[in-house]
Amino acid sequence: MKRAHRKTHLVMWLVLGPVMIATLLIAVMYRPAEPVNDELPTVLLEEAR
Amino acid sequence: MAHDYKAVQWTPFKTRFDLWMLGGITLYLVVFVAISAVAQPAGEAFAPVQILIRALGTLAFLLLTFILCIGPLARLTDRFKPFLYNRRHLGVTTFLIALLHAALVTLWYHGFSETNPFVSLLISNPRYDSISGFPFESLGLIALIILFLMAATSHDFWNANLGPGLWKALHMGVYVAYALLIAHIALGAIQFERHPLYVTLLCAGSVTVIGLHLFTGLASLRPAHRTEHEGWLKVADLTDMQDGRAKIVRPKYGEAIAIFRDGNTISAVSNVCRHQGGPLGEGKIVDGCITCPWHGFQYRMEDGQSPPPFTEKIATYATRIIDATVYVNPEPNAPGTPQPPSLIVDPA
Repeated sequence: MKRAHRKTHLVMWLVLGPVMIATLLIAVMYRPAEPVNDELPTVLLEEAR
Repeated sequence: MAHDYKAVQWTPFKTRFDLWMLGGITLYLVVFVAISAVAQPAGEAFAPVQILIRALGTLAFLLLTFILCIGPLARLTDRFKPFLYNRRHLGVTTFLIALLHAALVTLWYHGFSETNPFVSLLISNPRYDSISGFPFESLGLIALIILFLMAATSHDFWNANLGPGLWKALHMGVYVAYALLIAHIALGAIQFERHPLYVTLLCAGSVTVIGLHLFTGLASLRPAHRTEHEGWLKVADLTDMQDGRAKIVRPKYGEAIAIFRDGNTISAVSNVCRHQGGPLGEGKIVDGCITCPWHGFQYRMEDGQSPPPFTEKIATYATRIIDATVYVNPEPNAPGTPQPPSLIVDPA
């Protein structure tokens, strides 16, 4: 690859890498202990439990 | 090369590779579906199509992860170079698997209402302010569109007509597609899938891809400290120059230089292939020509020109041998300029 392409390539990973890691961390940290669908009425959720 | 276009340039190696790839994909799907069907948690009963959706989704993720590892791994070890030749087939196959995954999801989860399934897919969940309830399908859809554009323009016809620069920029979109895929899985399957295997696979895959690209990217931009001799850069001792292979030198300014040994001659050319910017120094000499590891474009060692009827030209560099050590002049000659090779008087 040309030097300019290699630089673009590296810059993309320097930006996308932390974004991917941050997305992963947030998604794992905030995932509910039990899978829930909070759009369902409470009655149905209680019944399902 | 650029002389004409063929629908598919099959070689016995590519045929074998594709057969192995199709066999591996079939085996993965069969094993995934069988294990999932047998090991379903008590109280959960997934329909076969749901299991197939998961099998296709995980397979697409694993394949794309592997594809993105091929480039940096091929820089670190020669063992991965054969995969470079077939990365395109793997990429198109990954798109088809992702497309099948998306089609099954759309039909299974959105095909039974009166609303158009595609409209339903996009509007049924508007909770963009939620993490666990984020409409992750839209992220997967954008990633799929990028993969489609890449698969559709993967042929050399598009490379020739768009130009290598634009074509390369378009195909760098795969990194954005991968980031979207990570978000699609993290905000989707990971939110309701309890098995630790999914989180482990996602984290291990993405960290490996990011780490490999950053490591090799930083290494390739850092000019190695080279001993100089009257402005000429030291390449290597003759005993370290493998016949038919090259050493790559990265000068402080300008493009990297590939210095090849062919028998008892040493020649140097630009490391950048005219086709798609492939790393010529990672290729080898075939039939007396420097051959690019990516798509087999060839150049003569003595003048950097592709053999007739092809017309591509790359820069050449002067070399010399002093006390069994190879040096290269970092000032390039104009592309296609004849440059006499250095002769090894007493081949090591």
